[in-house]
Amino acid sequence: MREYLAKRIIIAMGVLFVVAALNFIIFQVMWAGDPTSTILNPDFTLEQKQMLLESWGLLEPLHIRFIKYLQNMFTWRFGVSFQSRMPVITELSWRLPNTILLLGTATIGTIILGISVGVFAGSRRGSKADVFSLGVGLFADGVPTFFVQMIFLLFFSYLFFLWFGFQFFPSRHMTSVPKPTDPIVYMADVAWHLAQPALSLIIAGFGGWALYVRNLIIDALTQDYMVTARAKGLSERTLLYRHAFRSILPPISTIITLSIPAIVTGAMITEYIFTWPGIGSWYIAALNANDYPVVQAVLFIYAVLVIICNLIADFLYGVLDPRIRVGVRR
Amino acid sequence: MATLFSKERRTIYSRKIKGFWEEFSHNKIGFFGLLLLLMFIVMAVFAPWLTPYDPITPSRVADGFAQPGWMTIFPQYSDYPRTMEIFPLWEIGNGSDFVEIYPGKDVECSFYMTGETKMVDISFTTSFNYSYSVPPNRFAVTFDWVAKNLTDVRYSSKLFLVNPNGTSTRIWKEPYTNLPRSLSVIAESTDYWLLKSIGYSDPKAINLANLIFSNPIIGEYSLVFQVSFRPEEDTRMARAEISLLDFKFFIPGLVHGILGTDFAGSDVFSQLIYGTRVSLIIGLMAAAIGTSIGVLVGIVAGYVGGAVDETLMRIVDILLCLPGLPLLLTLVKLFGKNVFYVIIFIALFGWLGLARTIRSQILSIREAAFVECAVASGASRPYIMRKHLLPNIIPIALASLVLSVPGGILAEASLSFLGFGDPRVPTWGKMLNYAFGHGAFENFAWWWAIPPGIAITLVCLAFVFMGFAIDEIVNPRLRRRR
Repeated sequence: MREYLAKRIIIAMGVLFVVAALNFIIFQVMWAGDPTSTILNPDFTLEQKQMLLESWGLLEPLHIRFIKYLQNMFTWRFGVSFQSRMPVITELSWRLPNTILLLGTATIGTIILGISVGVFAGSRRGSKADVFSLGVGLFADGVPTFFVQMIFLLFFSYLFFLWFGFQFFPSRHMTSVPKPTDPIVYMADVAWHLAQPALSLIIAGFGGWALYVRNLIIDALTQDYMVTARAKGLSERTLLYRHAFRSILPPISTIITLSIPAIVTGAMITEYIFTWPGIGSWYIAALNANDYPVVQAVLFIYAVLVIICNLIADFLYGVLDPRIRVGVRR
Repeated sequence: MATLFSKERRTIYSRKIKGFWEEFSHNKIGFFGLLLLLMFIVMAVFAPWLTPYDPITPSRVADGFAQPGWMTIFPQYSDYPRTMEIFPLWEIGNGSDFVEIYPGKDVECSFYMTGETKMVDISFTTSFNYSYSVPPNRFAVTFDWVAKNLTDVRYSSKLFLVNPNGTSTRIWKEPYTNLPRSLSVIAESTDYWLLKSIGYSDPKAINLANLIFSNPIIGEYSLVFQVSFRPEEDTRMARAEISLLDFKFFIPGLVHGILGTDFAGSDVFSQLIYGTRVSLIIGLMAAAIGTSIGVLVGIVAGYVGGAVDETLMRIVDILLCLPGLPLLLTLVKLFGKNVFYVIIFIALFGWLGLARTIRSQILSIREAAFVECAVASGASRPYIMRKHLLPNIIPIALASLVLSVPGGILAEASLSFLGFGDPRVPTWGKMLNYAFGHGAFENFAWWWAIPPGIAITLVCLAFVFMGFAIDEIVNPRLRRRR
């Protein structure tokens, strides 16, 4: 187990290093290029430009710059946003919790709904309920997330407003415009604003999960040990939850790993649509404004997020799969 | 290559394909997916014949946010106006004594006057019927107006719109001048300075078209083009040649076509049809490139093994850790918003899972007897990979190819939706982007905001269904036990 985890952590560090290097190449070498040509007054003399470049450390050779860049990245010094003129880390620190709130709610909801539907359908293979769940799952899997969200928005916000004069779910932002001061009212307000993006993410996302879990359950239920268990006289319920469901937990935790990047990016479009003040909408705005200190910081944070989630999932996998827990080589 | 197309091979392949088709066509879901896909392919191929409009050079065919044409079957929309284009047949009103005139579609005439000095108004009229009980929101008039060979005369011109009860409203005017003119005039009912000049102090608050087309709305309207000549004081002979060409009076309709119009009054249906082409091409090409890379990497990693395998798999690990869409956005931003870059970048992230699957598949067959035989008979590594390993993983690759098309289409749609698509090509994502950014929601223009999403969904579903069916055929574990 320890050996397994150590290996994972070393790989994660390697990935982090590669991501930072990619970031450096994309943003410091390719994008920023020569900043004197873009952000400086063209009337500056050559000596003045030279002086500025030197004070910014841009005259040093690339490998020195890269080391400094790494230092800055891993100490969270991302520079100053061109748009807001604030340190990137300041803005990041109040935006990240918003994203985590949205992502966390949506992910947990998606997983619970997806696994429930998958287990439900898989344990009734071939029945009408199974075919129906399969159809719904396939459909939900095929519909683009942002389309589901646009439909939600169109009906729950705008059509509702057209007919009844108020929005059932608010169409944008995280709070009402004068922020409620009372903490309980504030939380209710945030929950009200959270409902639509989170719900639409869950609806758009559970299909793939349901299909995957259904196949896993079918696979597990047709294994030989199931015949044995059934022969022992165990009830179907015990069979399903103690045997089949237990056996599919490791692959499910793996798929959690692999789905994290997709969920992160899905949430990015969600944030854009609902103008949720998280890091996704910030990233898109920064890209459009050529605000590359923000872009590289968010890209880095995303990568860190994904790597951490991968580590957690690997750890879970290790805990859940006894072959890894006791160190049997596969 | 010769052996690939030898007769025996061909029969083997055709038998395999036949068997596959046999199973596939009996799979309801898969067959339905195939039909769905065929529908979209027909849409993509026959786009120019399915719609008269070309979304690549958009034009205003009706009012912004015009309802779909078939909405007129509902009573509340039944009298919404359709687009009217009026090409006049001019008749001369007063002042005919002073002109040599050639009336008709275009007016070309010369004015002359000798002796006395007085003001003369010459007017040309034309009329049209408006038969809808709902007034239009705007109208526009375009014409070319030429005045030349001027001798001792000042002139001005005006255009009036007269409604059935006789109220006339000036919709264009040119002040007195003695200089020759050649103008291409576009006058719109919403023009701020026009409204200001005919006496509305707050032009933004009024709708001129609604005011003119009112009590009664239905009836005969006329257009009056009036030229006033004012000869100079001491002239013996005043002369001018005027022409009024290519006159068009345009009333954008409030209902249009199959799916109405977008905010700028362009046809939505044609955008949808043409969008099929780009979306399908991007999805298929990205999937094809991605699958090829996946197959190549999978086979090489699985068969060669060792350091090559380790390196390739670590690259896969790293790429899997990269945030796909954000990086895609950055790359597109960095390299330019171009369809080909979009395809390549999508493909770059689309082969990871497949490479892993194929590698594990290859690992399980690399020690098989037929590979050993090939090695023993002196076959080279590339030959074994090509002739012995590749055919074995073709089913998986095929399923993966079909199943990764939706990913490509969705990725492109996401990019375009966020405004990072190629601005020159019409795609469904771009339509959604415009619908989202230009008021389809505030105006509840469902005919603009919903169809592209449905199209994306259906195309993706078509591929998912087909992939699902192929997976069930080629993957024995999923096969139903009979």
